[in-house]
Amino acid sequence: MSHTIKCTCRSVCKTFVQKETHFVPVLKDITLDVRENEFLVLLGPGQSGKSTLLRIIAGLELPSSGEVTLNGKPIQGPGPDRSMVFQTYSLFPWRTVRGNIEMGPRFKGVPKEERRRIGKKYIELVGLNGFEAAFPHQLSGGMKQRVGLARAYANSPEVLLLDEPFGQLDAQTRYLMEQEVLRIWETDKRTVIFVTNNVDEAIYLGERIVTLEGKLPGKIQTIIENPLARPREHNTKSFLELRKKIISLTRLTL
Amino acid sequence: MKKKLLTRKRLLQLISALSIVAFFAVWQIIVDFEIVPNELLATPLQVWKLLIVKLYNPNPDGALLTTHIWVSVQEALLGYLLSLAIGIPLGLLMGWYYVIEEMARPLFEVIRPIPGVAWIPLTIFWFGIGISGKIFIIWLSGVVPCVINSFVGVRMTNPTLIQMARTYGGSNWDIFRKICIPSALPMVFGALQIALACCWTSLVAAELVAADNGLGFLITMGRRFVRPDMIELGMVMVGLTGFIVGLIIDRIEKKLLAGIRR
Amino acid sequence: METDSTIVVELPPVQENTPTFLESLVVELPPVQENTPTFLESLKIILMRFHFLSFLSIALVLTFWHFISVYKIFGGTFLPTPWAIVQEIWRLMHQELIGKNILEHTWASLHRVFIGWAIGCAIAIPLGIFMALNDFARAIVKPVFDIFKPMPPISWISLAILWFGLGEESKVFIIVIGSFVPCLINSFNSLRLVDPALYDAARMLGANRRQEIMEVAFFGILPATFAGLQISLSLAWSCVLAAELVGGRSGIGFLIILGMNQYKPAIIVAGMVVIALTAWLITFGMEHIEKLVCPWRRDIKV
Repeated sequence: MSHTIKCTCRSVCKTFVQKETHFVPVLKDITLDVRENEFLVLLGPGQSGKSTLLRIIAGLELPSSGEVTLNGKPIQGPGPDRSMVFQTYSLFPWRTVRGNIEMGPRFKGVPKEERRRIGKKYIELVGLNGFEAAFPHQLSGGMKQRVGLARAYANSPEVLLLDEPFGQLDAQTRYLMEQEVLRIWETDKRTVIFVTNNVDEAIYLGERIVTLEGKLPGKIQTIIENPLARPREHNTKSFLELRKKIISLTRLTL
Repeated sequence: MKKKLLTRKRLLQLISALSIVAFFAVWQIIVDFEIVPNELLATPLQVWKLLIVKLYNPNPDGALLTTHIWVSVQEALLGYLLSLAIGIPLGLLMGWYYVIEEMARPLFEVIRPIPGVAWIPLTIFWFGIGISGKIFIIWLSGVVPCVINSFVGVRMTNPTLIQMARTYGGSNWDIFRKICIPSALPMVFGALQIALACCWTSLVAAELVAADNGLGFLITMGRRFVRPDMIELGMVMVGLTGFIVGLIIDRIEKKLLAGIRR
Repeated sequence: METDSTIVVELPPVQENTPTFLESLVVELPPVQENTPTFLESLKIILMRFHFLSFLSIALVLTFWHFISVYKIFGGTFLPTPWAIVQEIWRLMHQELIGKNILEHTWASLHRVFIGWAIGCAIAIPLGIFMALNDFARAIVKPVFDIFKPMPPISWISLAILWFGLGEESKVFIIVIGSFVPCLINSFNSLRLVDPALYDAARMLGANRRQEIMEVAFFGILPATFAGLQISLSLAWSCVLAAELVGGRSGIGFLIILGMNQYKPAIIVAGMVVIALTAWLITFGMEHIEKLVCPWRRDIKV
């Protein structure tokens, strides 16, 4: 099966400099191909550099060496073609739900009628009908993340980047949101790169799972093709076997 | 990476120092070169000279500089400590005991919007120009922020801690003493500085209106005698003394809070 | 592709518990009723809801006040009765004192406040933001500002009168200084308080530099800057009173000093009531404007 490659990383390295003399190598020799419309999961424990890798793909950080491209063209900075969903939501507190979701089109200069239409479509997609005029502080964590998701989608990005988006939610809401993300992704298919530290989440969501080592500098450990058919059940034998395999590879405990 | 001698940080510090020097220089120059007449503005050097002179010469206002400073500080501190002594317990109790809050609130809400300076004429009418009147005004100015901050401090106590104490069978008074008060301490200490600023301002205002000694009196006399150097000396001393007292309170606060993490 | 088989966990069968002899002797009690509040408890709830204690407290204070003034506890015409104060306010609204009635005096003071406050904030806000953005501006301005910060604005009054005389300018000058300080501090800090992740979010959504600033920086600094405006306005009201006490020819501060000089405590207290009302109105007004300007804020209100 041939895949069109959406996004590539070639020998990406990243080193942070602290206090003018202290070097912290965070990523080393990351080489990765992201296929079009696939759901790719970056799995690793804390402090493994996965968020940094995502930020480099997003364009919020520049790699110290190596190259990242999107559709063949090198990435030089952030842009609406790669939208990000943040762990801490990062919603604009002074805008309503509708205002937040319409921010991307607003920056692009889309006229108001069209903006409203786009906003309405994605509010409906994430299931927040009736909350258009609410402010972020009035929403629960799960709802805030739906807004984040809709906001990212409203920009029609080529790649959707999610940085541990459900880390702040409780276990029940987290599972609900995982299902929601899958539902939304299947309705409106895009390339997704999802960062997590939770093995169950990775297996449930990802088509391919890229594991990173647990120590700095982060290196790619394995790339696992997830053979399970959707919808996936957490307590099936094959799910648990895959889980066991990944845990033994990465020495994660969750 | 080479260590530069002139890092950005050091450059900024240098600019800050130069800024202060430039400020004094400009001040001195605009009077010396008669851009601003000396009757209206005294130079830094003149203020400095007066400072030295007034350390041993009571003319022309009738007292030494140290006397003025001591009188002002004394009045301010007495009023300030009194406002702490009454305001903080009152605020804490108001925060915890509903009865006290309901009874004290109307009177407090009426007094609260009245600026401390507005009490001056009434106080002088009642108490005359002496020290007791000033302490009353200073106390009134300081008590308001103390009550507010202590009240909010108790109200902001983590409800989980209170529930936990109740499950251990703590009485109302126990919970208040052992949980609410320590938890309110950061806010209470915040009030210390605010109240000090309010008290100090009210003191100066009171002394400007009616006094026969103190730094405010010095400033007023400077105007009577058309001696801008006296005015400026008074102003500088007001600022400096306020700053030093604030620093002392800050040190005491840090020592007392040394164990408690904010 | 292997088929998924669901793992079924076999649980041991549930055993029926046969009651012992003693347990069978236990009689079923009637179901426990919800506690209906006693008369005393419901009375307490009603009293709390209608703030009975507050009214009681107000009544007590007014009675006490009336008592001391009627029986001249402290000697002389020490304190007019509450009713006398109300009458005095009414009288002063219609009678002119040094050319103005009480409302006109209040307006004279407010007029100075608004002018001085507007000037002070118009300088402080841009300067504060500029200092937050530009390290050099901060390095130049902050040290000098820190020298002047501990000086209460009212201490400038003698210098102001020396320079500008007893007229409007001297008072407006004090108000400008008084408004300037908290406004500068707040707008300087306001930029620091903006969540930096929001800038990332804006850039991710395709904002260029200008849009990023207009969206995140502009709205982000609004709450703190507005708080600075509120604080300066309250402080400005205080300053104008102090300035009028020391050297004024009109204004509500001047009015109460007049009352003091004429040995008429009724005027003093009437003036103080008007001062309190105005201060309260200013605070009230600003809080409502805040709800309009920053509708997303929710603070602890005391």
